[in-house]
Amino acid sequence: MSARETGGRVFLGMSGGVDSSLAAALLLEQGYDVRGIYMRNWSRDLPGFRCPWADELADAERVAVTLGIQLDVWDCEAEYKATVVDYLVDSYARGYTPNPDVMCNQTVKFGTFAQRAFAEGADYVATGHYARVRHGKDGRPAQLYRACDEHKDQTYFLWRVDGHVFNRALFPVGDIQNKAEVRRMCAERGLGIENKPDSDGICFIGPVGLRTFLLDALERRSGDVVEWETGKVLGHHDGAFLFTVGQRRGLNLGGGPARYVVSTDTQENVVYVTADRDCPALWTTELSLEDCRWIAGEAPAAGSYLVRTRHTGTLRRAHVEPAGEGSCHLALDEPMRTVAPGQSAVVYDGLACLGGGLIART
Amino acid sequence: MPAQPAMSTPPAASSMPAHEAYLDYAAATPMDPQVVQAMLPYLSERFENPSAPYARARQARVALEEARATLAHLIGARPGNVVLTAGATEANNLAFAATDGPVLVDAIEHESVLACAQARGAVVVPVTSDGRVDPRDVQAALTSEVTLVSIELANGEIGTIQPIREIANVVAAERDRRLRNGERTPLYLHADASQAAPVLSVNVSSLRVDLLTLSAAKLYGPKQVGLLWAADGVPLRPLVRGGGQESGVRSGTENVAGAVAFARALQLASELRAQEARRLAQLRDQLERSLREQIPWMITPGPRSAARRLPGLLSVSFPGLEARRLVVLLERQGVSVGTGSACAASRMRVSHVLQAIGLSEEEAAGSLRITLGRPTTSDDIVYAAQAIVACVHEECQRVGLDAQTGGRS
Repeated sequence: MSARETGGRVFLGMSGGVDSSLAAALLLEQGYDVRGIYMRNWSRDLPGFRCPWADELADAERVAVTLGIQLDVWDCEAEYKATVVDYLVDSYARGYTPNPDVMCNQTVKFGTFAQRAFAEGADYVATGHYARVRHGKDGRPAQLYRACDEHKDQTYFLWRVDGHVFNRALFPVGDIQNKAEVRRMCAERGLGIENKPDSDGICFIGPVGLRTFLLDALERRSGDVVEWETGKVLGHHDGAFLFTVGQRRGLNLGGGPARYVVSTDTQENVVYVTADRDCPALWTTELSLEDCRWIAGEAPAAGSYLVRTRHTGTLRRAHVEPAGEGSCHLALDEPMRTVAPGQSAVVYDGLACLGGGLIART
Repeated sequence: MPAQPAMSTPPAASSMPAHEAYLDYAAATPMDPQVVQAMLPYLSERFENPSAPYARARQARVALEEARATLAHLIGARPGNVVLTAGATEANNLAFAATDGPVLVDAIEHESVLACAQARGAVVVPVTSDGRVDPRDVQAALTSEVTLVSIELANGEIGTIQPIREIANVVAAERDRRLRNGERTPLYLHADASQAAPVLSVNVSSLRVDLLTLSAAKLYGPKQVGLLWAADGVPLRPLVRGGGQESGVRSGTENVAGAVAFARALQLASELRAQEARRLAQLRDQLERSLREQIPWMITPGPRSAARRLPGLLSVSFPGLEARRLVVLLERQGVSVGTGSACAASRMRVSHVLQAIGLSEEEAAGSLRITLGRPTTSDDIVYAAQAIVACVHEECQRVGLDAQTGGRS
């Protein structure tokens, strides 16, 4: 890549975590001119949980000082609230189980952030994502590949990003063997961050938990827990929006066998459950996708591909049949556990992430 | 999306700095060894619950009441008017709970006062560019519905000392007017004196307030220990209910050790106050001079006149530089300073105080709050000045500012 030699300008999203910190060091070593940006997405304190973003910023700042690069704070709260937080709440209200990270990557990191970076003169944007990208020649969209470290690969969260944006994206940690290596490389460079714990969960909800967050945002509404096979009322819940397909915990049915959520009806406010792990409603061989996006800009040819329905989840072989209007049909070679509507199904051709869709309600 | 972990790691201890200088005494003070000594027995062998019936518990009660009497004496009050709380924030909340109806505050109050005020439909009076509340503004804004006026005795971020006695005159005049007109709406004056107490007299009768907040944490005592003094006739209403301790105003087993420590801390502060105020003012001026010599374009928000500001506080701004970054650079030199008040900093908003005195965004972003305390020595100041100058010059070079003029080079 020629920008490497000429020292292209990179705007790097820095979170104060291990991955983006190492990314900063690696980009500098590769000869890029790096400017760090801390995206402030969410700063509201929830009851019982102080949003740690100021501490995260301080960590990012320490790394920036060590490396001698500029770090700026960009306020992305409005965008984040509208497209991630409100989307999350609205999806749950309608009985879907969304992946907010997918939306954040599309609309904030590779949306607002990337646009502003390019407008301010960036040649590239970079993040600490575990993914690899091959830039397209002659204006063709880039191709996205799974990271070297399959246990950390984050392409599941990147499928909605346009390949043309990836043409100007860099993922410096995507080539590293594993997280231990990332930490070792951080230590080697004196970034002082190598012992920082991995983050997980939805950042703006944190340890408060999704249930508390949703009950704060949506109205508690008592409804029935109904046995799927018999229609018998087994108990009550605080709102069907709190439940997701396959869920076992939090049903509060007062003893008896473990029961699983088969489906939820947020209109009628009913949660259907079964005690039978082999209940046919808990298994599927077909998935309908809606709101599909393809990194190449157009759907792949119908055929056999690999499909994943959760972050770093099993890659299953399926026949993928794109249909009109952003929909797509998946026929799995082997039956799998039912997936909650709203979750992402991401399609791969070998290592290449092609795109995907949201699982439709059937 | 890399979500945020619950805890972040402490900074790297890459190399030990030559010297350490803690200069954030407005955020927290270390406990004085004498205060620790006074407190220790009540953490172990004298642990009894003051409400229990046996003789040993009675001794704990005596110790608690002696501490209260000492505290009361040192602020010129009677012990029965002192309510012990878990810190100044609670005391401020308790003061606001004393009345219903609208309240009047100024724009640079501590977060705890502003939060109480916002919940109540507050009139917020502006401050001058040096952070001073003009008593005439209070007079103009003081409608016949207002039940509580709350003005901090001294601001912890830019150090402005408020003309509290003149404001007390305004409040007294309005009270007289209501009395003459047969209006029954009560009106009280509250002052948070937490930041002022180490260096200013906090005698309630000379301040002529009705409610006064103090914090042990700013006085080389323990954190989460404070008090609210209320004049006779101010009807305090409990926020914490339970066993009816503190005359029913603040339930919960009394913090005897905390009270004893607080009393000792206030005693020491009262003894040392005059000499400390002088000493800190000299050190602060020494620091300002050294910085100004090397960084002539530095600005110093807050009052010009030494009589109108806290002696140990220096608020500085280096427009064009990021205070966040200076804090990290200084941390590596062993120098701890604040950016705005700790509460505002944790939210990373532009400080409401700096905004209210009309600082531009650039000036506010480049602001450091340097606060000196009892352990601060002249050596600390020499070291800190040299470290700040070095960091500022280094940053100027990095961002392309002329180190001598602060202009774009």
